[in-house]
Amino acid sequence: MKKITKEKLALFWELLARRATLYLPLQEDGVVNFAPWKNGARVNLRENSLVPPKNVFFPQAETYLRFQTGAKKLQLESLEPEEEFILFGVRPCDVASFTILDKVFLEEPVDGLYAKRRRLGTLVSLGCNEPGETCFCTSFELEPAFAPGADVMVWDMGEFLLWEAQSEKGDELTAKINELLDEAAPEESASALSLRNTTAAGEAAAGCQQEWNTAGLQEVLRGKFNVELWEKLYHRCLGCGICTYLCPTCHCFDIQDFSRGLEGERFRCWDSCMFAEFTLMASGENPRPTQKERVRQRFLHKLLYFPSKYGLYACVGCGRCVRKCPVHLDITQVMEPIK
Amino acid sequence: MKQLSERIKEAAFGSLSSGQVEMVIGWQKGPLWWQSFPAFITDPGETASLIWDPFSVSNLNKYLLNEVPKKKIALFLKGCDALGFNQLLRDGRVEREKVLLFGIPCDGLVDPARVEATGLSKGLLQVKKEREELVFYYKEGQRKAPARDFYYSKCLSCRYPNPVTCDEMLGEAVPCQPLERFANVSKLEAASLEERFTYWSRHFSRCIRCFACRNVCPACSCRECIFDIAEPRWLGKAKESGETLFYHITRAYHVAGRCVDCGECARICPLGIPLAELNRKFIKDINELYGEYDAGADLDKEAPLLTFKSDDPDVSA
Ligand code: SF4
Ligand code: SF4
Ligand code: SF4
Ligand code: SF4
Ligand code: SF4
Repeated sequence: MKKITKEKLALFWELLARRATLYLPLQEDGVVNFAPWKNGARVNLRENSLVPPKNVFFPQAETYLRFQTGAKKLQLESLEPEEEFILFGVRPCDVASFTILDKVFLEEPVDGLYAKRRRLGTLVSLGCNEPGETCFCTSFELEPAFAPGADVMVWDMGEFLLWEAQSEKGDELTAKINELLDEAAPEESASALSLRNTTAAGEAAAGCQQEWNTAGLQEVLRGKFNVELWEKLYHRCLGCGICTYLCPTCHCFDIQDFSRGLEGERFRCWDSCMFAEFTLMASGENPRPTQKERVRQRFLHKLLYFPSKYGLYACVGCGRCVRKCPVHLDITQVMEPIK
Repeated sequence: MKQLSERIKEAAFGSLSSGQVEMVIGWQKGPLWWQSFPAFITDPGETASLIWDPFSVSNLNKYLLNEVPKKKIALFLKGCDALGFNQLLRDGRVEREKVLLFGIPCDGLVDPARVEATGLSKGLLQVKKEREELVFYYKEGQRKAPARDFYYSKCLSCRYPNPVTCDEMLGEAVPCQPLERFANVSKLEAASLEERFTYWSRHFSRCIRCFACRNVCPACSCRECIFDIAEPRWLGKAKESGETLFYHITRAYHVAGRCVDCGECARICPLGIPLAELNRKFIKDINELYGEYDAGADLDKEAPLLTFKSDDPDVSA
């Protein structure tokens, strides 16, 4: 295992940023989000980002086609991501969200844009020292301080960061920045393991107030399409996009054109099943006419439809919807009565 | 507050069991200390679950647009909520006879972010208000601190903590000591054009276009919103600075003169975009150009931007 002392971090960011675009959790106006690092940016390694890092692989809006019509001929130009990047500081829950997105975007038919970004990116995960009040990743059998899906795993040990490559891409990155890394002493490496153990043990995760038994949840929800619960829950929903846009596993998108005169572009952008227009058809018919059907869709998709199709829940327990839904209609509100 | 929460339960029980109303909208408590949320109750037996606590901040009047009662709906209004209710009324979006309003004098509510900022949130189980203080409860022991230090900024500049309208007031009037609400606007006005543009561009670059600010706003009560219309699509769906500015500028103009300054949009924005400053700029301009006007409070005054006069200098010219 390697380590890097914190005094060297500024230098470290600079070196990494010279290799590729470097996405870090940056704080601006009190809000932490992943964004390309620039000199002078305020890096925050204590809090998870508000907007999940899915937007690095699956941007909120991305143009993939330009078109132009001349006298007769239609000209098309397809656009693809080209830039290599390093995504540093992703929490283990969010790393697990990429496994979920991979199911959607990397199985046939493969989504070229997403696949390309997954190839271009190197994923560095930062273990959590202390799960937050709204975190419940352990309910989905995830470890707060370990992300098997990351190329590199990093732990914050106070004075220094521990660094361990976990894949070929991780090894390559390590080789490129070796000049700033030191060899960690055996007892230092051991401290990463003990951090993993304490944070994984439910009660030791002091902040983590929520622990849910998700085993069998899927079975319980089967046949619950028309139960009273939805009627009870939906009234308070504001139909905003907060819960789905901030959810690291939500992956719905729309495709739109933007055109001016004879030219334009085609882009895709996030969409949300919580919006009324999401299912509005050209005929004016809407198969999910009220917020009740929309609320039910969100929860059943995550906890029943997705696992039925792919074998895992479409929730990683990051707690963003718990924290940010303005009316506390978060996923635990469904897991609770079912439990 | 204990007493007030009892009165809320009684009012809800009374109006439901007498058959006066068919639904009561109030607040219930979730499992975490800051989770208080809107509750919709039709069974008098469930009214005991209603609460009033320092986090009962959700504005309930906007729900009147969705719930269509045969009889009446009862709901609770804080000071800011009452302004919003009046605006819905003035915009012809609710029928006064269809609602029973219980007023709640409210001297301010607690912003969970401010509790977190002090570190008091660690292991926190419950927060109660006792007179001017908040009591924080933990597994071991409790701590106290002055309540006002934790209030939402919208509450610190609240001018109408006592509801300006209701059928029955559930408590004694509270004193009103608002901070100057235009301080930030004046500061921005003094900045250069470039500084202002950078300021707003930076903030709006974070906008994820969730529309929570619109959905919570009591002045945004259109049956069909321009931003949702697909054909023609006025607002493009791309997260792009031009589209985002179009959304915010259009919305600000559309609520100008009707925005009651309840502060809900800024409170609810998950990305911390200071929307109140934009709205307050409009309010300040309206006050300066047409004379003081307080949307939601001045029901007997002509609404400056909604009143047509044939001797308008622009028309006669
Ligand atoms: S559940 Fe909450 S966050 Fe999601 S749409 Fe409804 S109000 Fe918004
Ligand atoms: S449903 Fe909520 S807790 Fe689960 S992954 Fe999405 S935002 Fe996180
Ligand atoms: S919950 Fe809704 S927005 Fe999220 S992935 Fe499922 S259908 Fe799409
Ligand atoms: S703005 Fe005023 S009435 Fe509204 S919650 Fe704050 S103090 Fe109470
Ligand atoms: S609530 Fe905030 S993030 Fe959402 S649309 Fe409004 S300004 Fe944008």
